[in-house]
Amino acid sequence: MNTQDKVKINKLPTGVPGLDEIVGGGLPEFSFNIIAGAPGSGKTTLAHQFVFANATPERPALYFTVLGESAIKMLRYQQQYTFFDPAMLPGSIRFINLSQVVMEKDLGAVLEQITREVEKANPAVVVVDSFRTMVRKPSSDMDLQSFIQRLALFLASWQATTFLIGEYAEEELRDNPIFTVADGLFWLRQTAERNSIVRKLQIIKLRGQDSVPGLHTFRITDAGVQAFSRTFGLTGHAKNPPSHRRLSFGIAELDKMLDGGVREGDSVLIAGSSGTGKSVMATQFIAEGIRQGEPGIVAVFEERPQAYAERAASLGLDLDTPQRDGKLSILYLRPLDLSVDETMHSILDAVQKIGAKRLVIDSLAGFEMALSPGFRADFRESLYRMIFALTGIGVTILSTVEVDESFTEFPFSTYSISFLTDDIIRLRYVSIDGQLRKIMVVIKMRGGNHAKDIREYEITSKGVMILGKRLTEYQGLISGIPVYTGRSVPKEEPPHRPEVKRKN
Amino acid sequence: MTSPPKMRDLAHRLLDYEAGANKSSEPGKSATLRVYEKLRDGLSEFAGAAGFESIASRALALAKTEAPSLNAVRVSADGELHGLGQDLDEMEHPVDMGRDRAGKSHADEGEIILIARILGLLLLFLGEAIVLSLVRVTWPGAALDDRNSENGRKS
Repeated sequence: MNTQDKVKINKLPTGVPGLDEIVGGGLPEFSFNIIAGAPGSGKTTLAHQFVFANATPERPALYFTVLGESAIKMLRYQQQYTFFDPAMLPGSIRFINLSQVVMEKDLGAVLEQITREVEKANPAVVVVDSFRTMVRKPSSDMDLQSFIQRLALFLASWQATTFLIGEYAEEELRDNPIFTVADGLFWLRQTAERNSIVRKLQIIKLRGQDSVPGLHTFRITDAGVQAFSRTFGLTGHAKNPPSHRRLSFGIAELDKMLDGGVREGDSVLIAGSSGTGKSVMATQFIAEGIRQGEPGIVAVFEERPQAYAERAASLGLDLDTPQRDGKLSILYLRPLDLSVDETMHSILDAVQKIGAKRLVIDSLAGFEMALSPGFRADFRESLYRMIFALTGIGVTILSTVEVDESFTEFPFSTYSISFLTDDIIRLRYVSIDGQLRKIMVVIKMRGGNHAKDIREYEITSKGVMILGKRLTEYQGLISGIPVYTGRSVPKEEPPHRPEVKRKN
Repeated sequence: MTSPPKMRDLAHRLLDYEAGANKSSEPGKSATLRVYEKLRDGLSEFAGAAGFESIASRALALAKTEAPSLNAVRVSADGELHGLGQDLDEMEHPVDMGRDRAGKSHADEGEIILIARILGLLLLFLGEAIVLSLVRVTWPGAALDDRNSENGRKS
């Protein structure tokens, strides 16, 4: 069967930011869906968002309420959300209370009333909230399985997209007939982890199209439910082919050490202890990008954007003008209780908004500390996903990380994230001639050539300045306590090996 | 605490409308009862009979503090209103039409207060936008804009 023969399933907007991405572009039209979860997990709010996004006067939404939350109170609370448009009531959205028929009659009567209302209103969307309280009622004349089958069949035939909302426990997944009949099953969870509440959404089942698997973080704000896809909303974005372009740091000698600069689309890590100039180098990197017409994002966690810009100004770098011109965005991310995915979405939104080519994360330690404790366990995995997603679309990422200065070891990162990075530049203090001086070395450039030199540098009023040639008169520089050998500088050696072909 | 002036005005308008437009449609019922029943139908649809009954009972309790003439009135479990004066005299002298407001009986004032209290509670719980939306759908022909008079009601 070729593509033309296949029935086209329209995808309806969910009205929930981020959820369309998770469900594969939108909710299948005429599908019969369950929203399950514990009380307070956001089921009703999610359903309302779908209703407000899809109801029209011609094809309204019918929202059946049963036992449980009072409809008046539900409307009282739901109208606090920004998506709630009172003007859509009752022309486009009608709330119908079924509690009396549920209490006084059986499931057959319930089906009859739903049928009557649907035939009268010709709705595009039908919600039953809470379906669980309806089917919990004992001594029904109609078998539950039969009721669900007939309800699903009727609503699909009447071209309605349906949500049944219920408080279910996960143990019920196996035996409950409703989960067999449903086309889509949305499970909302909230758990307390230390002092934080962590909300997760899972699409357990969705017939007809691919959804993004796994648990997705979501948040309930005054705008309603907002979901954060594990793919960061970048599904379907064209992958940029690997570029051979080199991005300058704005530090000529460092560019030389990097064989012309950082490869576009690389993830670069600058590791060093406090005061070694990691942030200064990061600022120079972003400022050089702006100078070359490449918009940039700086995500800061340890100082405010104004302080960051003032510090840049002290190095002669103007970050205020590009901010005004929309070429630079300095994000201050010190949220409490935010998930790593939410924080990363803030970064991604900014990247996409200004078309950023360079991203600085200053620093990973600050980033991790800004997260609520419950999310820190996911930090490395989420960071990996973000770096993979962003570098995949051609953004070059520079992260800074503070490492404990040891005079016996030479660690690259306390986070074991070296595998996330293509290039690593290590900064460190060394004790030379009774002074605490600074050296840098390019540890790796994945698939590329780079200098092996250990170079001394200083932080001046113009930023990082690399001094002289490589240090050849000392041994054990990377230990921090080198030994003077007095060996003179050898004849200039070609610093680079032949070009190595980069892995794609 | 009295019923909000805006809801008193809206109650007046609805009673005026029912007294004028519908007096021949349900000759056995007063304008007040017709307004009450229409509110009951509209609210029961989404709040359920029990939901409406609880609102109506609270409204009646509040209204009685302002209008002791309502003391004999009660709301049954299904939300129906009992004990409101709906005798022939009231039919001949509906709440608004051609009747001197200053000469209205106390019971009429109590009825206005009762309707205003129901609307006031809805305003409190649901907000003005939803309440007015509900009223407009229930009384599509009624002029509800308050721009024609200083108190929002045509004089």
